[in-house]
Amino acid sequence: MRTGAAVREIFGFFFGLGRRTGRARTFTLIGLVPVALAVAARAFYHGRTGDMVAVSTEILMVIFLQFYIVLVTLFYGTSVTAEETENRTLAYLLTRPVPKTAIILGKFSAAAALTSAMVALGLGVSYFILNAGQMGDLAVYATFLRYLGVLVLGILAYTAFFTFLGTILKRAIILGLVFGFGWETAIQYFPGSTQRFSIVHYLKSLLPYQPGRGGGRGVALLLFRLEPTSPLLAVIALVAITAVFLALACVIFRAKEYLAED
Amino acid sequence: MTAVISATHLSKYYGHVLGLDDVSLEIEAGITGLLGPNGAGKSTFMKLATGQMKPNLGAVAIRGRRVWNAPEIFRIVGFCSEPDAFYEDMTGFEFLAGLLRFYGFSRKEIGERAARALDIVELTKDKDRLIRGYSRGMRQRVKFAQAIAHDPEILILDEPLSGLDPLGKRKLIKLIRGFKDEGRTVLVSSHVLPEIEALTSRVALIHQGKVLAEGDVPYIRELIEAHPHQISVRSSDPRALAARFVGDPSILRMTFGGDGRTLVVETRKRDVFFGRLAPAVLEAGIEVEEISSPDDNLEAVFKYLVGK
Repeated sequence: MRTGAAVREIFGFFFGLGRRTGRARTFTLIGLVPVALAVAARAFYHGRTGDMVAVSTEILMVIFLQFYIVLVTLFYGTSVTAEETENRTLAYLLTRPVPKTAIILGKFSAAAALTSAMVALGLGVSYFILNAGQMGDLAVYATFLRYLGVLVLGILAYTAFFTFLGTILKRAIILGLVFGFGWETAIQYFPGSTQRFSIVHYLKSLLPYQPGRGGGRGVALLLFRLEPTSPLLAVIALVAITAVFLALACVIFRAKEYLAED
Repeated sequence: MTAVISATHLSKYYGHVLGLDDVSLEIEAGITGLLGPNGAGKSTFMKLATGQMKPNLGAVAIRGRRVWNAPEIFRIVGFCSEPDAFYEDMTGFEFLAGLLRFYGFSRKEIGERAARALDIVELTKDKDRLIRGYSRGMRQRVKFAQAIAHDPEILILDEPLSGLDPLGKRKLIKLIRGFKDEGRTVLVSSHVLPEIEALTSRVALIHQGKVLAEGDVPYIRELIEAHPHQISVRSSDPRALAARFVGDPSILRMTFGGDGRTLVVETRKRDVFFGRLAPAVLEAGIEVEEISSPDDNLEAVFKYLVGK
């Protein structure tokens, strides 16, 4: 089977399977926690709009950007290979006429699609609850799409990185946690170009609010020291991160043998 | 006859642990049994033969083509792995249909093939149940079904009969023999000699990563028969029992167990010994608590063969 067709079939298999797992239900529920926060904030504002809503929306975005997508992609990305070896199901895939590269790409695509759907649901519901008073304003929808686009780019880059980690390490989740919640958080407070050695830097560079350009007052601390990369370069960097780590994952998966712990 | 699966000086190490040591095997059409105790290297051989593992030394090829990173070979190969592992959140039908997608069949053909394979293993009425709710025997059968659903000409089956009840075993044995009658090649592993014996007369004995012997089952039986059996008899008076067998030509050696109640007898003629044991016990009025044959298993026979 050709790689493209095999990727499509593997995507279909694992997307269908992934939707009904306990993990998908758990992460979907976690993704809906901001909805409760949005409802609470909405009740507190009594229908007022303006800065407070904008600030709440930015906080909401921070929750998704710095916590939710890191967590969800960590589990889904590392599991691309780990769950097959731990559950001893890898033999079902390796003894089919599909290239190993297609297994990684197909499973990666399924993981990214599932997590994107979870993020779209959680972000969409909470965002529109918060902005319910401005539904007639087209800019609200444009901002939503921009937020969603940033998060999807983040999901692709993080999932690719964690997929790569999963192919080289048996306990990738530990290093993934250190990277996702240690390195990615700490490096944002480093001055100069050091910030560019993180994924979150490029994601933040794509957000509508920037220091010195107004907005973001409520999250000024989180944007502290952000020296943004231009949006075009940020998108290129994120796409490159995704492509490079996926390619590395494919190369390693093709060369390495995975032994179940008997 | 040309070998369908050929292994040449195949060696596999897990770190410092030897998995397979310089194994050369030629598997021809028909059924070949790979017989050995647990941990002998049977699964390692099968994983190497199906390209799941890379040999450290030597090579394994199917129809002359090396299997590592050669996925196209699996159009003609079906593999049933040993672990009881599944995508548990799928139904039996979804599991088979999902795996059949990887062969490029049309949707209609996928449905037909999955239904046919489930029918062969008698799971049609349970096809829409989640695999996590299947019994051990059903799980074993659905695993076999995924190996045959694409109609392969070569079947590699790692302990396919484990977990099946006697009736299930008989049905599967009949099915596997049917594949042979269709001219296909089957490589099947087991640690139970009678299971292999029921399937084929062509056997390779594997132990501690080495192929000890190859040949027909009668030849293997002969080897096993030549091996002195140990029989342990725990009774109220082992010394009185031993006295009854002094000078018996069927006995090679007698020793007493550390517990003071056990007599361990070594004999090449097990049946003769058992034939004489019952009258001896009755005549002496000895109360027998337990009779066991500590080495009456493949492991002991293999140890013996290694030492030969």
